[in-house]
Amino acid sequence: EERAVRDRNLLQIQDHDQPIPWKVQFNLGNSSRPSNQCRNSIQGKHLITDELGYVCERKDLLANGCCDVSVPSTKQYCCDGCLANGCCGAYEYCVSCCLQPSKQLLLERFLSRAAMAFQNLFLAVEDHFELCLAKCRTSSQSVQHENTYRDPIAKYCYGESPPELFPA
Amino acid sequence: MKLVNIWLLLLVVLLCGKKHLGDRLEKKSFEKAPCPGCSHLTLKVEFSSTVVEYEYIVAFNGYFTAKARNSFISSALKSSEVDNWRILPRNNPSSDYPSDFEVIQIKEKQKAGLLTLEDHPNIKRVTPQRKVFRSLKFAESDALVPCNETRWSQKWQSSRPLRRASLSLGSGFWHATGRHSSRRLLRAIPRQVAQTLQADVLWQMGYTGANVRVAVFDTGLSEKHPHFKNVKERTNWTNERTLDDGLGHGTFVAGVIASMRECQGFAPDAELHIFRVFTNNQVSYTSWFLDAFNYAILKKIDVLNLSIGGPDFMDHPFVDKVWELTANNVIMVSAIGNDGPLYGTLNNPADQMDVIGVGGIDFEDNIARFSSRGMTTWELPGGYGRVKPDVVTYGAGVRGSGVKGGCRALSGTSVASPVVAGAVTLLVSTVQKRELVNPASMKQALIASARRLPGVNMFEQGHGKLDLLRAYQILSSYKPQASVIVAIDEDDVSVLSSLSPSYIDLTECPYMWPYCSQPIYYGGMPTIVNVTILNGMGVTGRIVDKPDWQPYLPQNGDNIEVAFSYSSVLWPWSGYLAISISVTKKAASWEGIAQGHVMITVASPAEMESKNGAEQMSTVKLPVKVKIIPTPPRSKRVLWDQYHNLRYPPGYFPRDNLRMKNDPLDWNGDHIHTNFRDMYQHLRSMGYFVEVLGSPFTCFDATQYGTLLMVDSEEEYFPEEIAKLRRDVDNGLSLVIFSDWYNTSVMRKVKFYDENTRQWWMPDTGGANIPALNELLSVWNMGFSDGLYEGEFTLANHDMYYASGCSIAKFPEDGIVITQTFKDQGLEVLKQETSVVENVPILGLYQIPAEGGGRIVLYGDSNCLDDSHRQKDCFWLLDALLQYTSYGVTPPSLSHSGNRQRPPSGMGSAAPERMEGIMPGRYNQEVGQTIPVFAFLGAMVVLAFFVVQINKAKSRPKRRKPRVKRPQLVQQVHPPKTPSV
Repeated sequence: EERAVRDRNLLQIQDHDQPIPWKVQFNLGNSSRPSNQCRNSIQGKHLITDELGYVCERKDLLANGCCDVSVPSTKQYCCDGCLANGCCGAYEYCVSCCLQPSKQLLLERFLSRAAMAFQNLFLAVEDHFELCLAKCRTSSQSVQHENTYRDPIAKYCYGESPPELFPA
Repeated sequence: MKLVNIWLLLLVVLLCGKKHLGDRLEKKSFEKAPCPGCSHLTLKVEFSSTVVEYEYIVAFNGYFTAKARNSFISSALKSSEVDNWRILPRNNPSSDYPSDFEVIQIKEKQKAGLLTLEDHPNIKRVTPQRKVFRSLKFAESDALVPCNETRWSQKWQSSRPLRRASLSLGSGFWHATGRHSSRRLLRAIPRQVAQTLQADVLWQMGYTGANVRVAVFDTGLSEKHPHFKNVKERTNWTNERTLDDGLGHGTFVAGVIASMRECQGFAPDAELHIFRVFTNNQVSYTSWFLDAFNYAILKKIDVLNLSIGGPDFMDHPFVDKVWELTANNVIMVSAIGNDGPLYGTLNNPADQMDVIGVGGIDFEDNIARFSSRGMTTWELPGGYGRVKPDVVTYGAGVRGSGVKGGCRALSGTSVASPVVAGAVTLLVSTVQKRELVNPASMKQALIASARRLPGVNMFEQGHGKLDLLRAYQILSSYKPQASVIVAIDEDDVSVLSSLSPSYIDLTECPYMWPYCSQPIYYGGMPTIVNVTILNGMGVTGRIVDKPDWQPYLPQNGDNIEVAFSYSSVLWPWSGYLAISISVTKKAASWEGIAQGHVMITVASPAEMESKNGAEQMSTVKLPVKVKIIPTPPRSKRVLWDQYHNLRYPPGYFPRDNLRMKNDPLDWNGDHIHTNFRDMYQHLRSMGYFVEVLGSPFTCFDATQYGTLLMVDSEEEYFPEEIAKLRRDVDNGLSLVIFSDWYNTSVMRKVKFYDENTRQWWMPDTGGANIPALNELLSVWNMGFSDGLYEGEFTLANHDMYYASGCSIAKFPEDGIVITQTFKDQGLEVLKQETSVVENVPILGLYQIPAEGGGRIVLYGDSNCLDDSHRQKDCFWLLDALLQYTSYGVTPPSLSHSGNRQRPPSGMGSAAPERMEGIMPGRYNQEVGQTIPVFAFLGAMVVLAFFVVQINKAKSRPKRRKPRVKRPQLVQQVHPPKTPSV
């Protein structure tokens, strides 16, 4: 059983011998997008984030999948509720914050060190938006003791490190 | 170990095995069949059948005399002018008794005759008579059965002997779970589950699951398995470096969904995504699932099958992730669990509103014994559970792919789940406008089309048996428009949003059990029905204004009051609407039926609208019908203390029975409609009305009740509760307390190390929280000890078993105390020594001396009332004790028992010490919430397979799935999340 635990931890370790051929494209802006359609974060209870980094209330989502930017509450690259460690209280703000162009370096650094457990996931990611959608989700890094969050408040992380253990 | 062995026999057709299993549920029904020499061999019944010409079996919808049967048939055949027919005589001992079938011979105009026969109101169906050739053989394990052989190996037990035995039950009206009508004729067993559900009809229309991405989260699949043509991707999320299935579980599940040859699956052209999340050693962790689920979201999986689950709905990261998955439009299908027939055994994530939870039936349409059932327990103690499973389908003896090809038959809800997942995959491929398919609309279609099984309540069958073709019809006419209701078919199911259950008829038995088992009356605790709202309009939605109760005045609707609590946001795709029904004062002495309906309007953001802020609306009507009776006298009313019982253990709460090492957690809710169901039914049959207290003692009017029943209480008591209860007892309320063991040395001994949490777990209480109970009892000079006793004994001519109980340490001089001779189990656990203790006080009866004072009864063990792991019930004792508490009749069998002794004074024995400070209200503090806000210290996470029998090498099949890493009496490190084989 100890072996199992060790093996499990191994998944968290990165394999430096085999650099992973990432294919993430950080081309931002409208260039790669077909017409005026937006992909968005789909799942939200109250909020939704589109691929341009706008966060809006669900009712302010347009039929083309983009947030209505004419509504004052719609914000771009919004990091509300995000901590210095790159973990946020709301998934949609995490994605929006992660989409900031300035986060590209951070994300590239993360990819270069990504653990084995995340290979499948991040190898399948095609661009900045998909990367942020995937990165902000809770994952094996978000939990302690398997069934509790390390930090039940700020659990959505675009950053490199897992959430702070709570209570710290 | 012996018991474990017996469990192994679940699927074995041996009659003695069945009887043994049977007596857990149907305790009283039949004499104990001796079960000597039950081996671990599997008895296989193999048979083939041929149709017998001209002969038909006419099945009736009830039991009728030979004369009545004859007249039904002749009147039916007369109208179609068939003359040349006769009833074939059956000469067997049952001929004199009413029967539900007849064998007839028709030699002319058969087609017309059969049709008119089937039209007769008393005739359920007509099937060709078959001649069955049967051979029995013992086998050590399931051999691989070649798929194209006509012989079928039946590996599940027929439930007929059990059913028949239950006919002799002289039980109350609610017990009429329609066992008569649910008897089915044995018929030729279908060879392929997909054909049985008529998937071939859809195949012929060209639908085969093409362009649907279906994910199988299981033990993997080998690369070049001959049954699969479209395996898109295999990924591994475990610590074993393989993608292959070393166990057979994952292959089987994938085969049921998508096999294209031999044992065919439902959707051979579906795009299969194999996620290996369980190792060959049957280990899995929540964190593996989290990462794998994320990948499934990225891959835009349409349908996901999870034939795995666990009891821990408080595993927040897992539950949140499942919500996230369905919110991303993944239709999640999951097995409800294999912990039946005990109630309160639903597994997560199948118990979630956004997931399609699947239970199992056999090919005779009986609910499979193993299928988990009972309400959800998330809502306890303040609320009431939701209905689950959602649907049931074949889960016993279903054939699917073997590891390397070929076919095998397996049983379990693990099998039923992919049947639904496969059907759903096939259904998705039939829908032209894919954007209409979402987790809610698919679930709406399945439950609206499901066929209800007669004689089975909703907490066992949900909405009934999956009907693939009807679901197809509903989906094909599913035309959501951007406004109000769209009716999809004659059943008047609203497309956009719908409710589960779709009506509330508290008089309908047995479907609406337990509601139909006890009418409501003025002054009773409100009856709560927890309805699930499915919102097909969008992942998020809300209830507009408030639900609106509209009484039907001509139908006495004004005799009830209806209150609501509901989800503020319906997300993902669903929410709850809890309806509390109580009787108005003016109907306090009225008897009759009251009716009305509830209207709710659901709104979702209209995503297809370009105008922003637009909403789609859908209005749903929920009919309500209840039976009201005059308030029963106080003496007939028993109040069950739910508030001080625990639902899923927030910490480590060991079992009440320490011998049950395989199932160390109390997780069935401790509710009268879960694991105390037999006791509830017994009390109802004795004429008592049982209500549930889901709030502190300060919240009920004690003048309404004769007896407060407290069984196995783990919770602490607020000082205000203690003071209130003392006043209540002085004023005539009686207490019956069934306690359990509590010994700090034993508690330290049963601590264990958990691999998942990587920490030592120390029990928060023993079987019951005795220090808290003693505080409550101290004013009456009573108390329990920290002794731990076990043994068989006889009391008032009844055989009894004391399983890990405590003794009474202190009791008033003028009370009645009964003692017994027991083994000191504490010593056995601590020092592995055996010693016998005489005169252990176990039962005490006491009358409060003051004028109009109540009575108090203490008993030291609760196992004899609890359906889980009960060996001998003591319902007779409960009757006698209630006679005493409610009517003041002291049972002579107790007061004049030879075992009566002087009450213990409590001198010389120390009261049990508390482990450490436990604050009152600590465990159940999130009353009224669906899911706790506070993350609990993780109880054990366990995900397990739900297959009853699977063969790995020579390992013997095990029946009970270790749901949790099990603590043992001797501290020991244990493997995590071991699925049963």
